[in-house]
Parts: sequence; C-alpha cells; structure tokens
Amino acid sequence: MLRTVISDLARLRLGNGSVSITQVREKGHLNRPRLRNPHWFLRKKRTVHDDFVTSENRNFVKEVLHHTYNSSALTRDEQTHEKKLTNETIPEKQPWSQELRRCGVIARKIGQYPLWLKNGEKIRTTLLQVVDNHVIKYVPPEEYRPTRRPNVPYSKKYGCVLVGAESTDPTLLTKEYCGLFSNSGVMPKKNVARFMVSPQSALEAGTPLNVRHFRVGEFVDVRGKTVDHGFQGVVKRHGFKGMPASHGVTKTHRRPGNIGGGGEKGRVWPGTKLPGHMGNRWRITKGLRIWRINTKYNVLWVQGSAVPGSTNGLVYIYDTILPLRKPKDAPPNYEDNTLIEDIWFEQVHNFKDESITYKPE
Amino acid sequence: MSVVAKLHRTTWSTLKQLQQNGRKARFSASATTSRNDLFTHEQRRQREAVGRVDKIEVRYMGQPEDVTLVMNKHISTPYNCAQHLSEGICKRSALALIDGSVPWDMHRPLPESCTLQLLHFFVAEPHLVNKAFWRSCSFMLGAALSRIFKTEARLQLHSFPSPNIKSGSFVHDVVLGTHTWEPTKAEMRAVSAEMVKLAARDIPIERLEVEQELAQEMFKDSRYKNAQLPSIAQQNQGRVTLYRLDDHIDISRGPMVGSTRFLGKCTIIGAHKLSNKGATDAFYRFQGVALPSGFMLNHVAYSLLEQRAQKLNPARLPNEPFEDQQQLQLS
Repeated sequence: MLRTVISDLARLRLGNGSVSITQVREKGHLNRPRLRNPHWFLRKKRTVHDDFVTSENRNFVKEVLHHTYNSSALTRDEQTHEKKLTNETIPEKQPWSQELRRCGVIARKIGQYPLWLKNGEKIRTTLLQVVDNHVIKYVPPEEYRPTRRPNVPYSKKYGCVLVGAESTDPTLLTKEYCGLFSNSGVMPKKNVARFMVSPQSALEAGTPLNVRHFRVGEFVDVRGKTVDHGFQGVVKRHGFKGMPASHGVTKTHRRPGNIGGGGEKGRVWPGTKLPGHMGNRWRITKGLRIWRINTKYNVLWVQGSAVPGSTNGLVYIYDTILPLRKPKDAPPNYEDNTLIEDIWFEQVHNFKDESITYKPE
Repeated sequence: MSVVAKLHRTTWSTLKQLQQNGRKARFSASATTSRNDLFTHEQRRQREAVGRVDKIEVRYMGQPEDVTLVMNKHISTPYNCAQHLSEGICKRSALALIDGSVPWDMHRPLPESCTLQLLHFFVAEPHLVNKAFWRSCSFMLGAALSRIFKTEARLQLHSFPSPNIKSGSFVHDVVLGTHTWEPTKAEMRAVSAEMVKLAARDIPIERLEVEQELAQEMFKDSRYKNAQLPSIAQQNQGRVTLYRLDDHIDISRGPMVGSTRFLGKCTIIGAHKLSNKGATDAFYRFQGVALPSGFMLNHVAYSLLEQRAQKLNPARLPNEPFEDQQQLQLS
C-alpha cells in the first residue's frame, strides 16, 4: 500500500510552484495474528543437513529401523483386532450401551465414485482410506488434562486415545516428536489425533486400527477442513441470487444489495452476510452411511460428496452422534479370522453380480 | 538446661563442622593449585632452559601449498607453523604429523628440522586424529568428573586405557567412596553438560614432559597415580608425560588434540561398577561417546551409537595386576 502525502507547505501558498510528494510506505497487509504456541508444543520436522554417513551405514540404520518396527505393523493386509487394556485402568465389563463412545480413525479422502443400489438407484459415494493407523497412547479420564476443555457437562468422564496415521522415517523428524511414540513401539507417524472414548472402550498402545473398526450399513460422522476458496463474494459464499445480467441493470450483478433496514436501530447488524473469507475451516458432516468396505486397501465408501476437504486431504471419522442413526446392537468382537476382501451393504449392487436375472419360464 | 545454653551448644558444633569442611575443601583446592604451580614453574623453566635460539627448517606439506618455514628450535610448535599459513588452518587443525609417521601435539615444540602435515577430521586417513580425539575425550571426562563430584563422594581418578574407537565408547576409570552408587539419567546428563561447557570454553590442552621425581611431587596426594608413576617412567626413560586442561592435570602417553573446542556432540552414557576396593571404595568405569565438532548426525543414528556405548567397554580393567611391562599400555 502506497500512500502519497502532498506536503502543503507555506511556500506553496506563496506560489512557488514546487510541490513535494512524499511516499509513505505501509506494511501492505492487515495485522497478521501472532502465533503463541501452547506449552506442550513440539516441533515436528527436522532441518536435514548433509551428513557424512557412508552408504553402508545408511543401509545399516535402515535395517535397524526395519527390525525395530517390525514389518507387520506396516502391511495393510494384516488381520487386526482391537486389543483391550488388561490392567486396572479398565473398569469391570459392562454390557454394551448406545451411550458408550468408541475410538475413531484417521483417513484420507481419495476420491468419489458412484454406486448402484439393487433397485437401480445411483448414489454418489466418497472413498476414504484409513492409512496405517495405530494407537499411540491411552490417557484415562482422571489423568487427562487438556489446555482447553469443552464447556459441556460430560467432558470429564471420557478418556483420550491418541491415534497416529502414516508412518514416516524418524530420521526426518525431531527427537522430541519421536519421543511421543517411544512407549508404544510404533514407528513415528506424520499425523496424530485425539479421540475421546469411554473408559470401557479404551485401547492399548500399539493396537492397529483399520476399516474393520466400522461395519457396512452403519453411520459415521466425518470431520475435515473445508476447501479454501479465499476471499469470496456473496453469491458463492452465501448463495445469494444476485441481479440479472442485462435488461438495463447497471453495475449490479453479483452484489449483496440491501444490507439493513432503517429506523431506531439503523445500522448493519453483526452477522450480516457479506463477502469475506470462505473455507479452510473444520466442519463435521454427520450421519453418512457406509455402503461398502474394502479390507485389503482399507477403504470406506461413505454416502454422498459432502465430505469436507479436497482430495488427499485428511479427515477424522467418528461413530455418529445422531441418535436415530446410532447402531442398535454391539459392535463385533473381531474374533473370526475369515477375511473377506470386499464387504457390500445388502442394498448395494455388487459389481461382480449379474445385473439382470431372468426367471426361467 | 536453659534454651540459650542448648542453642549455644548446637551453633558451636555446627561451627566446628563447617570449619572442618572448609579445611577439607581448602586442602583439595590447595592440592590442585600446588600441582598447577609446579606445572607452570616447570613449563617456564623448560622454556628458559632453551638458551640460545637455533633455527630449524620445517617443510610443510598440504593446503594451500607446500612451503618451507624457518622456525625456532625447541620453541616453535606446529600451531605456530599454522599461524604462518592462515587462520582457517589454525582453527581446523587438531593434530600434526611429523615426517609422515609421528603424531605430534599442536602445542608441542618441534625439536629439529622435519616434514610437517596438519591433520583435521576430514583427511583421507583419519585414524590418528580419531585416536587422539578419543584420548582427549577420556582426558576431558576426567576433568569434568573432578569438577562435578562433590568432595563427599571422595572421587579419585585412576587412569584411562588406550583408546579403541571400535569398542564404541571412551572410558575413564575412577574410584568412588561408596559401594552402592547407581548413576541416574539426570546425573549423566549433568556430566555431559559439563563436557560441553569445557568444549565451549575452547581451552587449549598443554603438554609437558617432566622427571619422575617432579611427577611424584605433583601427584603426592593421589595414591593411585603415585603407584602408577614408577612403571610409566620406566617405559619412557625416567620421564612422565603430563597434560593440562585449565587446572586439571593428568598423565597420558599419546598425543591429544589441540583444544577442547574439537568436541562436538557428546553423551556420557553411564558408569559400570567394576569391583569393590577396601571397605568403603569401589572402582567405577565411566563411558561415553562423542563426535568431533562439525559432524552432523541425525538423532536416530546417534542413538544407535549411544546404545552401543552402554555395553561395558572391554578395555583393560584398572584393578587387574600388571603382568608384564608390555601390557601396561597406559596411554
């Protein structure tokens, strides 16, 4: 932003004819928010320097890493099961109820695809891939002390399960960040998230999580960061109709029009819909049905295209909180070893089935 | 007994104790100062004993070009030769190589005309510098321990064996006045911090060769060093090589690097108890691993080095009997 200041000096009025223009340079942006990190903040990525390690030693370090975090943790076709804590942290076995909260998973939105139901209806689905999730830590409700607690009456009765997604080379991360994973025995992860769970659903550190955590036909809530559209006008941002493009309309095609009334409170009310920054916010889409599961690649097909975020963006999947869509019976125990690769909801047409069957006459 | 009289008695006993403690502290401090005074005095005497200054020709080979320098006999050091070349060479040279084969301290006077090479940690054949570095780390560990332990621990430095880099750790053997001491992580971190502090101060490491009697006089209050001196002197024609780091003096054979600033990343891993000594004392072996300054290494690889350094170093134990003179390789 460049302002020019024309100094109105006395000699101007005397008619000297010399006008001095001073450039006043401003900072060029609005006040940027000053970042204040919380006390537990850890730097994640390390500045990687050229180190003088020989190639044999580099391979040796890779071998050691591979040996420490055994490869079964990294394969996707591993049969996984939810291990429960065996120590005193877990309360006595209570019967399953709808109020119990389970752990969620971290996934990536990988695309969208249509599916067809058996009645011929076409539905849009979003594919979410659960990438290499492991439980890092469980903190019981008595010990869990977050810096900001939600202002709800039930916040103190849930414990916290820390889940990590996408293993990375620990050489590229700082030692402090890798220390988060030292007790669990899993390879350091790129992303880490908290899930609030009831103590009965607590999971042991090191438990792998995959799509079999959910069942087809059940409903999930998906939380993600919406696509950043930047500064947007009122038509895109709030869905205003705008004005006609022609027929004498002067200089008003996508403007908001009137923004307030008059009278005693004659001002623009707070919250008035106006142009502004759109997107890049955390939003939860609730009650999405799971139509299909692929256990080999850990992919969920969820209803619709309303999953927040762009492709390859991270999303967090939870069991739904909508009361009418909660499951009516307990989740399975994962004791059966039969691993079906593709699990389809009963209403969905399996692509491998015949599309038309004729009754013999 | 009235309260006043009781108070008077307790203050009197505490005063007495303080006096005694003060005396003890003063005694050990004065022992160090007298040792240092003797060292400095002997250094000065040797310098003055040179007399008429003769010239020698030192053929320097290396970067930036091979030159012949005319230096002073028994006075000029390889560091002085480096000063004729450039400041960068002064700062990076850790060890000198005389006549292509003899490793030489940077601050040790040259006795005759020779060929000189200045070694740093990135040369093609670094085994000599590496060994000198490892030896200096053991020496610095002794200095750090003597600073960090309180007088109540009754620490006495024993010795450090020949450097063996392949073993994975450098070693310093000490005698502590307790049978039951387990090092904690915080304590080991404090010792490592002390090492790093010494490195940050860029203290030069001085060398001095003295006669056996003077060495006996200097180490008269350290019974273990005193016991080692006759056999050391016998191997070296009646002379003992001493090294000084700030106010810490120790006996060592081989060359050390020129200064403490060459120490980069350093971790003192722990101490293994070797054996009991008498009713109250015991031998402990402190082990550590370090990298020269300028070497970048990621934390994963460095933690592998630390893990390997935790195992007990198989070097010669201090309480083993000295069977034959060749085995006595106190370096």
